[in-house]
Amino acid sequence: MPDALKISQVAKRYGRTTILEHVDLSVAAGEVVALTGENGAGKSTLMKICAGLIRADHGDVRVAGRIGYCPQLPGLFELLTADDHLVMFGRGAGLSRADSLRRGYEVLEEFGFPVADRAVTRDLSGGTRQKLNLALALLTDPGVLLLDEPYQGFDRGTYVNFWDHCDRWRADGKAVVVVTHMLAELERVDRVIELPAHPSRSHYGSGR
Amino acid sequence: MSLSIRRVAIMAEMHGRDLTRRHAAIALLIALPLSFYFASVGSGASAVLAGGVGMSFSVSGATLFSVLSSKEVDQRLVLGGYGPLELLLGRLLFLGPFGLVIALAFSAAMSVISHPARPLVLALGVAVVALQSVPFGLAVGAALPRELEGTLVLIGVIGLQLSASPDSLIAKALPFYSARQIIASSLEQQGSIAWPLFRTAIYGLVLLVIARIFVARRVDVTQHSPLD
Repeated sequence: MPDALKISQVAKRYGRTTILEHVDLSVAAGEVVALTGENGAGKSTLMKICAGLIRADHGDVRVAGRIGYCPQLPGLFELLTADDHLVMFGRGAGLSRADSLRRGYEVLEEFGFPVADRAVTRDLSGGTRQKLNLALALLTDPGVLLLDEPYQGFDRGTYVNFWDHCDRWRADGKAVVVVTHMLAELERVDRVIELPAHPSRSHYGSGR
Repeated sequence: MSLSIRRVAIMAEMHGRDLTRRHAAIALLIALPLSFYFASVGSGASAVLAGGVGMSFSVSGATLFSVLSSKEVDQRLVLGGYGPLELLLGRLLFLGPFGLVIALAFSAAMSVISHPARPLVLALGVAVVALQSVPFGLAVGAALPRELEGTLVLIGVIGLQLSASPDSLIAKALPFYSARQIIASSLEQQGSIAWPLFRTAIYGLVLLVIARIFVARRVDVTQHSPLD
């Protein structure tokens, strides 16, 4: 399968602290890659660089198709409902109100989100907010999925369901990168990339 | 990316839903200028000036909050297809008319109680304060990183506008000077409003440009090159 995400020599520093140093990574369409590493290794920073939310100091990221990004902390409007979020995010991609809700409900129902509940996100549990967060990343059927610990707060059933979905996304030809600390599930991914804690040890290849 | 009226309209709708669900905040938005006015209602003209310019605390405060409270979501919305200008215009589209409604109700109350010489000019002056407050709140919210800093700047600028002598250079440099002139002229039988209106419009446009520059920097999303 062709590459859908290619990271070449990406480096990032904050002040004197080196977060990422010469990172290379390629992810093919139809491949699920787990990104692991200690706290502070730069996993979330790398995901944000791939999503375009922060600029790398050096290096290049190239992407085939649309990106779906699910941040670690769900950035949502506290007094808007799930419907409001679906419509707002769908409109950004040119979807009509009806299409946004239809597609959003499909994803939300798969993860057991109570779509009939019209509660504002402030009144939702952490896991339920995270389901909405994930649905917003999937709303426009992106070809590249960047998921930064997307299952935080999920109950056991939804957590297992999430990894089942990774299999489906692989079959659909999506390139999926999941930041995870859940070592028990690593056998379900195609490759595991560990970001080193010390940038001096950070020269590693795509490993494919 | 071209500007989309539909995206702007959705942003306005969602900010409207968000703000109208904040019942306590809306009550405070209305109570704040009223308290400025009633605190000095016995002292004649100064009450109308304090209440009218005090309107800016409400509307610019609501605007500031709408910018800073959605900082993280905004960048994700840009990643999802919105333009920075659409985010700004969406807020403007809701908060402008929202501020106008409060301004008109408030100026009607002041007209009944304080009997200005030209009630329609008073309504115009308070409406101008409300409208100018939106780009002011947008600019402060876009330029400053957190709510504390933003709130302190609002208090500083509006407080200075209220307390500085109207003839001083500092008062003339502040964003609500011309609106204050319109409100002051409503208390007399004469006084031009064309020049203050023009000056406010130019000031508002400059504030919008400042907001646009800072918002674009804050929600910037790198567009990666496509893979061959």
